[in-house]
Amino acid sequence: MIGLAPYLIISLALFCIGLAVMIARKNIVAILLGIELILNAAALNFVAYSKYTAQNLEGHVFSLFIIVVAAAEAAVGLAIVIRFFQNKESIHIDEASVLKN
Amino acid sequence: MFVSFLFYLSSALTLAGALGVLFTRNIMYACISLLCSLIGVAGLYVTLGADLVAVTQTMVYVGGVVILMLFAVMLTGGKDFKSRMQVMFNYPDAMGNKWTYGVGIAAALVFLAYSAQLIWKIIQSATKPEVETFKSTVEDIGISLISEHVLAFEISSVLLLGALMGAAIIARPKKIITDGEDS
Repeated sequence: MIGLAPYLIISLALFCIGLAVMIARKNIVAILLGIELILNAAALNFVAYSKYTAQNLEGHVFSLFIIVVAAAEAAVGLAIVIRFFQNKESIHIDEASVLKN
Repeated sequence: MFVSFLFYLSSALTLAGALGVLFTRNIMYACISLLCSLIGVAGLYVTLGADLVAVTQTMVYVGGVVILMLFAVMLTGGKDFKSRMQVMFNYPDAMGNKWTYGVGIAAALVFLAYSAQLIWKIIQSATKPEVETFKSTVEDIGISLISEHVLAFEISSVLLLGALMGAAIIARPKKIITDGEDS
C-alpha cells in the first residue's frame, strides 16, 4: 500500500519544478512547458485525494477537465508564440516589451 | 509488489523528466523531457486506479500537446539551420541565465518550505487505507459526465471550439501584399 503522502510529495516537487521553470527560463516555449508541469501537479493531486479521502470519482472528472483546459491553453499559447515569432524574429521573453512603460 | 514497483518507476520518471525540463539547455531536449514527465504522471494515475485519466493523459498530452510543442519549436526557427541555431542558442542567455535561475529556484524553495508544513501535518494524520481494489472507472465516469457534470461537459466543448478557432486565426500566415492592385 502506498498511501496519500507520497503522491502529495511528488505533486509538490512537480509544482515547485514547474514554478522554477516558469521563472528561470527566457524562452517562451519553455515557459509553456513549465505551465504544463504545474497543471499536471494539480491534476495529480485531484486524483490522489479522490482515491484516498473522498473515495468517489469527482476528482477524476475534474482531472479530465484540467487536461482539456490545458490542451486548449497549449494550442492558443503556441499560436501566440508563432505569431510573436513572425513579428519579432525571436522567441525570447525580453523581446515582449511593447506594454512596458 | 507490482503497484509499488510501478509507483517508484513512475515517480522517478516524473521527477527526472521535470528536472530535465528545468536544467537542459536545448529546447528540443526540454520537450522530450516533458514527454518523459507526462508519461510518468500517467503511470502514477495507473497506480491510483484511474485508468480513464491515465489513457486520456497519454493520448492528449503525449500524443497531442508535446507534438504541438515540438511543432512550435520547429516553426519558430529561422529560414535555414544556421539561423535557427542562432535563434535558439546563440541569443544571449537564450534559455535563462544565472540570475533568473537563482530567482526561480529560490522562489521554488520558499514555496516548498511553506507547503512542506502542510504536507507534514497530512503525513502525521494519514491512515493507511485498507486492501486495494482496482476496477474500471470508465462507465462511472461516463455516466457522471453526462448526468451531473453535463453543464461543464458542454461548456468545455464550446471552450475547445473557441480555442481552436482562436488558434487558427492568431497563427494564420501574414497576408502577402503584392502591388496594391489586387488588394
